[in-house]
Amino acid sequence: MTAHQPTSRQFKKNVTAALANENLQRAMRSTQSGFVGKRAKARDALPEFDSLRDAARDLKNHTLAHLDLYLERYETEVKASGGHVHWAETAGDARRIVLDICRAAGAKTVNKGKTMISEEIGLNAHLEENGVRAVETDLGEYIIQLRGEAPSHIIAPAVHVTVPEVDALFRKTHAHLPADRDLSELPTMLAEARAVLRQKYFEADVGVTGANMLIAETGQSVIVTNEGNGDLSQSLPRVHIVLASIEKIVPTLEDAATVLRVLARSATGQEMSVYTTFSRGPRRAEDPDGPEEYHVVLLDNGRTGMLGTEFQDMLRCIRCGACMNHCPVYQAVGGHAYGWVYPGPMGAVLTPSLIGVEEGGQLPNASTFCGRCESVCPMRIPLPKMMRHWREREFEKHLAPAASRYGLRFWGFFAARPALYRRATGLAARALAALGRGRGRFAALPLAGGWTRSRDFPTPAPKTFMQQWKER
Amino acid sequence: MSAREAILARVRKAAGGAEGREAAVAARLAGNGPHAPRPAQARSEGAARLELFEAKARAADATVARIATVADLPAALAAELRARNLPATVRTGADPLFVGLDWGAVERTEGVGRLEEPATLSRAEFGLAETGTLALASGPMNPVTLTFLGETHFVALPTADVMAGFEDFWAAWRARGLDPRTLNFVTGPSRSADIGQTLQLGAHGPVALHIFLIG
Ligand code: SF4
Repeated sequence: MTAHQPTSRQFKKNVTAALANENLQRAMRSTQSGFVGKRAKARDALPEFDSLRDAARDLKNHTLAHLDLYLERYETEVKASGGHVHWAETAGDARRIVLDICRAAGAKTVNKGKTMISEEIGLNAHLEENGVRAVETDLGEYIIQLRGEAPSHIIAPAVHVTVPEVDALFRKTHAHLPADRDLSELPTMLAEARAVLRQKYFEADVGVTGANMLIAETGQSVIVTNEGNGDLSQSLPRVHIVLASIEKIVPTLEDAATVLRVLARSATGQEMSVYTTFSRGPRRAEDPDGPEEYHVVLLDNGRTGMLGTEFQDMLRCIRCGACMNHCPVYQAVGGHAYGWVYPGPMGAVLTPSLIGVEEGGQLPNASTFCGRCESVCPMRIPLPKMMRHWREREFEKHLAPAASRYGLRFWGFFAARPALYRRATGLAARALAALGRGRGRFAALPLAGGWTRSRDFPTPAPKTFMQQWKER
Repeated sequence: MSAREAILARVRKAAGGAEGREAAVAARLAGNGPHAPRPAQARSEGAARLELFEAKARAADATVARIATVADLPAALAAELRARNLPATVRTGADPLFVGLDWGAVERTEGVGRLEEPATLSRAEFGLAETGTLALASGPMNPVTLTFLGETHFVALPTADVMAGFEDFWAAWRARGLDPRTLNFVTGPSRSADIGQTLQLGAHGPVALHIFLIG
């Protein structure tokens, strides 16, 4: 397989292709309501939810302010438990470290639990190039690995794949099974994947998982899953490797509970995910199962460069996916259009931070600034504000495509001339309000086809903000 | 400079040289940091706590049965195995709770989980009523693979070990002084919505989770 090179630069082209892709559009429509409704129900069932979000934000801000001290304590604890800590400045360093561990273990097969860091560093392709077979075990990751794709959602990686596509894929891949078997029911498909992967857990020499958190107090890594694949991947092979970025640290067990209380509710609407596992070191002398070696790879890959900048708040992210589940742009174009590992609003902020504004600078334009992402983010990350920061930086560097540069310049011309601006916007607002009266939104607008093809443009208030403000 | 030093140096630089950072970190690690709000649903007591535990576990698709004493466990398990059309065998660890019992018609084998494991039985250290969650400690008493390889996973939990929520759970956990390789929180049987965005039970872990609440 080949590594997934970023295509974020051609965001516009990706969007056009995504909007024209009927299979994708069908898959996206079927998920839209699910996540949103479930999160709302979970929030409503817990009166303390919003104050827990404040506590989660504060605990992460505290941790980021003292990240060096917490990382040192964490490392001390992992070592005391008999584990190894490896520090990786770049994606390349992390790939090399993992390959070295696999080679030392004589590994031919590596089983993977779900890890976004593995996607970020392009681990699978690197292992394959070096003769180590990487098997994704999260069902969604397994499906997209067989399709040779990157995930399109951080917690539902195969959300863009339809049932008939999975059917065809399993028939092609599981060629050892009778060709005329009945796969018409979803449970049959699931049972087939379960049986195929069950065997693989016992064959793997190394298990790789991510980490939702690292606990400084105890040196534990934490994974949160619903399938149980991450646990089989770390319990059956001889070596367990944890891939984690440095900002995953939380100070104590109690702090971990605060994050857990907002994580699953924001992600899937569950009160707790099915499996939350705290792992410390290799198996004990008396243990009959569990890995004999435990390694943690701590990845920086651009994150220390975000500390102390206007993008530091992004490091609070716990990868719940709520921002993309609630994003009209993501829901219209899906995750692949964003062109790299992290899609949706969090990806629009993170991608330029991690792989550069030249590569990812287009993504912050994929925002309507409707603010829903920030309003649902359990860590209260000001996503729209940070997207605006990126737009400004991109504009300064003259990296914006000509159309948006002229658009902004046009706006700049009026903005510098307040009277003219007010007259022009007032006129436009009245015209739009008259046109859209009674409907509340426009399904099509002249010159805004790129917008209205996939979402409606809300009817503006008949008066501009400035007019209403003056009349107060 | 090593990668470790380079990364830590950049973090330190961003943190600035503020006074008292070490003290703030030490206080938090010693449990003297600010306390997050404790949800009302994590404060249940007595009979209401057990009811909440049961209701939350059921809401997560587990099944729950109350039995009076641990001596009733073999018969209760035998009945469950029959009702589920499973063979009268179970795989367990060396937990003293199981070792001393007369298992009668149920054939109990001890050891780690294997490829095919129709029924496994573990003992949970604690339960958390706020979410119907089980907390299991891995080790020879309860091998971790039994929790994930059993097609049907049975779990025994004495009612005295049901905590209200994370707050009293962590306190009790620390007090018990355990240091297992894994602490496994389990809330219902495994599931996936990765095919057709339709939730199905029994992904890689158990298809069914049954809890015997003892006492
Ligand atoms: S930015 Fe917020 S909402 Fe989005 S994935 Fe991260 S924590 Fe979740």
